[in-house]
Amino acid sequence: MSAGTMVETPAGGRIRRATRRPEFTLALLAVAGFAALAVATDGNLLSGGTLDAFFRYLAVPIVIGLSQMVVLAIGQMNLSVGALTGLCSMVAAWLMLQAGLPAPVAVLGALAVGLAAGLVNGLLVVVTRINGFIVTLATMTIIEGLRYGVNGPDTFQGYSQRLRDFGRASVLGLPVVFLAALAVAALVAVFFARTVAGRHLLATGGSPFAARLSGVSNDRSIVLAHGLSGLLAGAAAVITVAASGSVNSSIGDDLLLPSFAAPIIGGVALAGGVVSVAGTCLAAFLVRLVDVMQAQFGINPRWIDLIIGAVVLGAVLLGTVRQKLLRRSS
Amino acid sequence: MSSPATTAPETARPPETRRPPRIPLWANPRLGLVVLLVALVVLFTALRPAFLDTTLTLVPLQSDISVYAVVGLAQLAVLSLGHMNMAVGSMASMSAFAMGLAYDRLGVPLPVGLVIGLAAGALLGALAGLIISRTGVNSFVVTLAMDFALVGLITILYTRFTDGVAFSGQPAGMTTLRNDTFADYCMGEVCGPRIPLIAPIALVAALAVGLLFRYGRLGREILMTGANEKAAELSGIPTKRRVLQAHALSGLLAGLAGFLLAANNGAFSASIGDQFLLPSFLGPVLGGTLLAGGAVSVLGTVLGATLTQVIYKGLNLLQFQLDELKLYIGLVLLVALSLDRIRHVIGERRGARA
Repeated sequence: MSAGTMVETPAGGRIRRATRRPEFTLALLAVAGFAALAVATDGNLLSGGTLDAFFRYLAVPIVIGLSQMVVLAIGQMNLSVGALTGLCSMVAAWLMLQAGLPAPVAVLGALAVGLAAGLVNGLLVVVTRINGFIVTLATMTIIEGLRYGVNGPDTFQGYSQRLRDFGRASVLGLPVVFLAALAVAALVAVFFARTVAGRHLLATGGSPFAARLSGVSNDRSIVLAHGLSGLLAGAAAVITVAASGSVNSSIGDDLLLPSFAAPIIGGVALAGGVVSVAGTCLAAFLVRLVDVMQAQFGINPRWIDLIIGAVVLGAVLLGTVRQKLLRRSS
Repeated sequence: MSSPATTAPETARPPETRRPPRIPLWANPRLGLVVLLVALVVLFTALRPAFLDTTLTLVPLQSDISVYAVVGLAQLAVLSLGHMNMAVGSMASMSAFAMGLAYDRLGVPLPVGLVIGLAAGALLGALAGLIISRTGVNSFVVTLAMDFALVGLITILYTRFTDGVAFSGQPAGMTTLRNDTFADYCMGEVCGPRIPLIAPIALVAALAVGLLFRYGRLGREILMTGANEKAAELSGIPTKRRVLQAHALSGLLAGLAGFLLAANNGAFSASIGDQFLLPSFLGPVLGGTLLAGGAVSVLGTVLGATLTQVIYKGLNLLQFQLDELKLYIGLVLLVALSLDRIRHVIGERRGARA
């Protein structure tokens, strides 16, 4: 098998192949971890409130992980995802409170800002030919400034009741925002598996030279990937605004590292050309498990950084060992 | 290559005919930086004459430049390989912790503690290098994960060994290092210039790194590894060891930067290194060091760090808020890089035509 699994190899694959996929290991880990934590907390994890909170705060990590994954697909990085999520959140709240617009317009506004910022990133990379890492480092700084500029140090709260209700609503015991995140993930998966543009992105990431020879416009792929990444950051912002009930300029500060953690643990290669939507979602789930574990046992939150760092490193090392073993056995 | 500290292994001493079209002097990114620097200093001085006030602005500015030039060099050490070190800040912080612990608990003199801290930094860097070279995992991932882990560890260590924020004990000489300039030391009538005592430390570090990459066998081999790892391996360079050494150097320089910042702030605190990541890339990248590896510019890094600090200080004097400061730093970075790119393209075209 190709150790770097393309997203969604046809579902009818053999079981043997399926069990060899990194996503399978992650899924096993996720189930085992969840069960272990449920037992360790005497079933407290399964009580209504805890379970609800577990999935509610899983929504943003999933979407932000996907936002990073889209850019990783073409072998670049987007350092501005966290700051951009913060800016979009602030813009949405500003549109509702200061401009007095209805919630749906504010949601569209946040998505539009995200998309625009992403497109600017992509265009800058294409036009200036500067490394995407540097371009997004610069735009991250700029966006952080803008994010603070929307409302200074003050907090926006008391905006649209309907949006906040949406953030708090549940269907069949699962929070709506979590289902929304899953829907976004499904769309991203379909985009990479089934659409021409999505395949072009992967082709560009896999080998820009080969992609160009086969008639794929690398420039278009770059702009598209960054635009999509920005749009997803906007979606993460909408979820944040709906679920948290109040936003300020610190939103997004703690999102940059998780945005890399999810796709990397999920088996997405930094070199580009390979994505795994399921892996990214499962990895976000695992990171969330660590978070909940900390809350349940009252561990010093500082240990969490240490543990997540170790988990990322461990996952990457395991992946390398796996690949070597697989290569030897085949 | 017209600046002394610029190095690229392929262009070291090749015959004239094989040389790529020479970039004219005006297209040299270092020269552009100097022009931009002068223009900004003139602008800030015109707007706020206090910008040239020695004690108020220039001395602290030199201290800041010293710290961030070394931070830039720490990143440059791995950029030479085409790698990144996302953990520069936390490596600096860990080293500062080691130094603080040595001064506070063991009561060691200043230089001994410095050596302990530098060794701690170099060890952390070597660990990152070891993982990268053994597993072949991308340096970005390894150092990012390491940063995560270290940031957690640092807070835990500081809460266990101090009141939670900073060490109270300090070695003799720390205050002198912080407050004095050479003007405080006189030989008869002649006093030194108003340069803070930590500036020469940074200068020595820059010179050492510059000489290493230009003339040192180790430095050249690291650059070769960065330019083309396979070719380097085939020509007998132990590339894995060079990767480890470059990362160790990065950790060591990060530790030195941590020490300089602690000397500036007057305390070994947990917050050291918090703000290192962005400046660590700004210096080298503005100075023309590529992320691709294989070529570095030490002089450019120092100039880049200087430019960044001048902008910070200038905007600060003009009473810009923090958010506006960030906005303009980002814009300046983009503009400087784009201009650089345009200059480069035009330069190449002229060179090709000639």
